[in-house]
Amino acid sequence: MTPWNPGEDVIAVQRGPEPGGAGGAYRSFGETLRGLKTTFARVIEGTNTIQYPEEKVPVYPRFRGRHKLHRFEDTGLEKCVGCSLCAAACPSDCIRVVASENDPENRVSAGERYAAVYEINLSRCIFCGYCEIACPFDAITMGHDYEMSDYNRSDLIFTKEMLLAEPIDRTPLRNEGE
Amino acid sequence: MPRPEQKMVTFTLDGREVSAIENSMLVDGAKCVDVEIPVFCYDAKLGQPVGACRMCLVEVEGINKLQTACSTPIREGMVVNTESDRVKESQRAVVEFLLINHPLDCPVCDKGGECPLQDITFGWGGGTSRFIEPKRHFQKPLALSPLIAIDRERCILCYRCVRFSQEVSEDYQLILSERGAHSFVSTFDGHPYVAPFSANIVELCPVGALTSQAYRFRARPWDVEGSGSICTLCPAQCNVTLTVRDERVLRVLGRDHDEVDDGWLCDKGRFAYQAMHVGERITEPLLRDGGELRPVSWERALQSAISGLTKAAGRTGAVVGGETTNEEAFLLQRLMREGLDSPDLDSRPGGALALDLHRALADPALSATVVDIEFAHAVLVLDCEPVDDAPILDLRIRKGVRRKGVKLAVASSRPSSLDANATLSLRFAPGAGEALVAALDAALSGTGDVDGLAASAGADVDQVRELAALLSEAGEDVVVLWGERLAHGPRGDHAVRGLLNVASRLKLASADGAGLLEIPSGANGRGLRESGLLSNAGPGLGEPGREGRDTPAIGAALAAGDLTAVYLMHCDPVRDFQDRGLWNRALSKATTVVAHAGYLTEGLIEHATVIFPAEAYAEKEGTFTHPDGRIQRLRPAISHARGVRPEWQVLATICKAAGLEMTFHTVPMVFRALVDAVPFYADLTLDEIGGRGMRWQQTAAAANLPTASDRAPYQLTAPPAALTPNGSLRLGTYRSIWAGSEVAVSPALKFLIPHQQVELSPDDAKRIGVGHGDRVEVTYDGAAVNAQVTLRAAVPTGTVFLAEATDSQPANLLTNGEPRLVEVRPA
Ligand code: SF4
Ligand code: SF4
Ligand code: SF4
Ligand code: SF4
Ligand code: FES
Repeated sequence: MTPWNPGEDVIAVQRGPEPGGAGGAYRSFGETLRGLKTTFARVIEGTNTIQYPEEKVPVYPRFRGRHKLHRFEDTGLEKCVGCSLCAAACPSDCIRVVASENDPENRVSAGERYAAVYEINLSRCIFCGYCEIACPFDAITMGHDYEMSDYNRSDLIFTKEMLLAEPIDRTPLRNEGE
Repeated sequence: MPRPEQKMVTFTLDGREVSAIENSMLVDGAKCVDVEIPVFCYDAKLGQPVGACRMCLVEVEGINKLQTACSTPIREGMVVNTESDRVKESQRAVVEFLLINHPLDCPVCDKGGECPLQDITFGWGGGTSRFIEPKRHFQKPLALSPLIAIDRERCILCYRCVRFSQEVSEDYQLILSERGAHSFVSTFDGHPYVAPFSANIVELCPVGALTSQAYRFRARPWDVEGSGSICTLCPAQCNVTLTVRDERVLRVLGRDHDEVDDGWLCDKGRFAYQAMHVGERITEPLLRDGGELRPVSWERALQSAISGLTKAAGRTGAVVGGETTNEEAFLLQRLMREGLDSPDLDSRPGGALALDLHRALADPALSATVVDIEFAHAVLVLDCEPVDDAPILDLRIRKGVRRKGVKLAVASSRPSSLDANATLSLRFAPGAGEALVAALDAALSGTGDVDGLAASAGADVDQVRELAALLSEAGEDVVVLWGERLAHGPRGDHAVRGLLNVASRLKLASADGAGLLEIPSGANGRGLRESGLLSNAGPGLGEPGREGRDTPAIGAALAAGDLTAVYLMHCDPVRDFQDRGLWNRALSKATTVVAHAGYLTEGLIEHATVIFPAEAYAEKEGTFTHPDGRIQRLRPAISHARGVRPEWQVLATICKAAGLEMTFHTVPMVFRALVDAVPFYADLTLDEIGGRGMRWQQTAAAANLPTASDRAPYQLTAPPAALTPNGSLRLGTYRSIWAGSEVAVSPALKFLIPHQQVELSPDDAKRIGVGHGDRVEVTYDGAAVNAQVTLRAAVPTGTVFLAEATDSQPANLLTNGEPRLVEVRPA
């Protein structure tokens, strides 16, 4: 049996010119020197190590850290009405909302319904911010806090109370032009 | 009536040739080629379209104005355009118009995510609104009934709910009040909309104006999963989709099956799911210990059940209720017949019927289907009340009468809710069904003493003659819908012979759309019989080997000490059966009472020795047989509540302990064994049954049904005459749709729990000197039932009716299955 002949199908890969003397020397040292230039240029700037956790990297205002749930400032009612739209938008399926009906005497939120259970499983969250975009009431926003490590996976399920609580502001914000 | 022939025609839709059924509506025709025309007010289930919302406008060539696709029948050669600019413009305009008064409630609205208005606005709407004026406002949300919340701001006035109430369930309660933009849905005087089928409007409403109080805010469509199964609360066995979130059933929706339920559900089926998740449910085995039922381990409960049953062995009886699956029934009859060597088992509360008659009744030629009711020339409702006994059939009969011109005749003791639709309603004395069918048979055959027999039945002889004339002249397709209670009692055989005579005189076996349809007293009554749970028949209505005692005889034998143990599968004889006194004696005498039950009922609290928790129907796997022979699958939607084990496994464990070889690992394996044992099920496989069920009569194996040796017409013996009131009153009983543990424990349905009331005719009430709402005592031979008087003009003079299985003062304090005369006096 004759071996199969690929014929015209073969695409010859175009390579650069074979390294000659000068070209070869440049390829060996030139690129390295170019890299070293950057290195040495930084050396004169001095060390730039941040002493985390004593010192923290400031984040940009639009940095997407751990979520916050909000209340109306005047009435103190929760903005979230438990509509579950954030849960629908979430690509990693880490939000769980169980809604319930408001008692007009003892309101939790402004509308007919409120979130009786609101949980975000932060160990699954990818901080995409879709929940923030989906929310029709700006009830949930992404905060700046990125320090969320814990010893226990289940402690990473943040409940409504935890998300509503004012987070201890541990993250410095980057100033304009910084 | 033969089904109307469907002629296919070709028309052009958006430049494509489409073939569709002539005279079907354009929206439906368009679906054949996946063209969706948006609709709000149209739903084929509601009957004639009304064209109220104008969402479905399309362009039809040759007609200047746009036409509503929901009410334009398809004609040969029609040219229709659904995509022209004119159509699009009108769709945008209608959406904008509908949204003028529609609040921006989506985030708080329960319909959000499954809302046709959202979908259509998104798909066909313009995207923006020019309307900045204030919208109309109503107080919201209001309770339309304890089950339904109404938000009038969201209503788009599509009329669907009103049409349902007016034309489908015919309770005539919902109306649109006021005119134009002020219109709103309500009952005419604002009373709560309470009706047996009310909550169907929640599913019908295309917006969130009508929401279920029980499901309100429980979940969004993306939080839940739908799981198809069937409702097992009555013989109608409606197909349902259970909405499940976090292993809890949160809602029951219809799963349209036009050969079973036509897409509707009754409120019991729709809300009694709550009974699965209440504290009252039994979720661990109970054992009587020192006079008290106490929770024990499964091992201990099984051990004592097994030792009790094997000790009694041949002296064990079994009585089975309707929620038992075919598989459980098959295992139980093996346990009884082979394991314990006892032939005493029964699933018919009213006593045995001759095996020959069972076979004659099961004859495929003689069996009518649910759809036959709709297309019959005449339907006879005989000794049953569909709305109580198999609610969804009530809607089917109404549909037949209203839309297909079916002639309806009702022959019952108690006034029926179908009387208003009936061409003829005939009353006979409670328990005198046998005399009535004998009289009807005589009138049909033209021989015999019609007058005498009608008098024995306590019925009007002219009416009996009219009924005979109506049935024989209506046309060949006559369906007789009869209740099992006709065949109850020691003379059940005679009543059924009379019924079979009537069927043969009307030649029901020779017409395709004609036949008998029995409403059994248990949800799976038919399946239990065919699986072998009869005292005188084995699986497949075969010879039983040894004939045993029927239900009343088991009770009597227990009371006499001839039997010492009893297996109560999903039934509480004290609560459910006519002869309460007998069963109280029987169960207290029995040394071992093993029960499967979901809830503690009086007889079990009092007498059970071991109670195994019953599975809820959403947890259960198995098959049920519909009264018309359709085998349907019950599929598990949630996992078992903690502590509950599959009941078939419990039965298999006991079988094994009783020395039977059990090689079953799954329910389908038991089903296989059942199919092998029932010759006329031979062609069924679970795959073919699938989600829609399959009638065994339509398989080739139906020919394997053992034939009756004796055929109609039979020679009838003279029936006993109905009791003459003579100053006292004839007692009739009925079981309300709302009677039963599931309703009693479901929070949403609690307001419907029936309390004992005695239905009196105004004449009798006057004679006794009581009025509507008064408390009276109904007495028989020293026993008394305390009840509230309900006056009903339609109740025949000389008769009273009491409800069975009420929470207190049930009718069976007075009854024992035989006709009774009672006294009524002010309490
Ligand atoms: S940020 Fe993204 S992944 Fe995290 S909860 Fe929100 S939607 Fe989900
Ligand atoms: S956070 Fe916003 S989107 Fe999520 S449930 Fe609450 S209101 Fe709805
Ligand atoms: S309540 Fe719903 S179903 Fe009834 S008219 Fe309004 S929108 Fe239609
Ligand atoms: S009619 Fe019967 S089967 Fe249908 S939903 Fe109601 S209780 Fe269930
Ligand atoms: S769907 Fe045709 S007018 Fe409403």
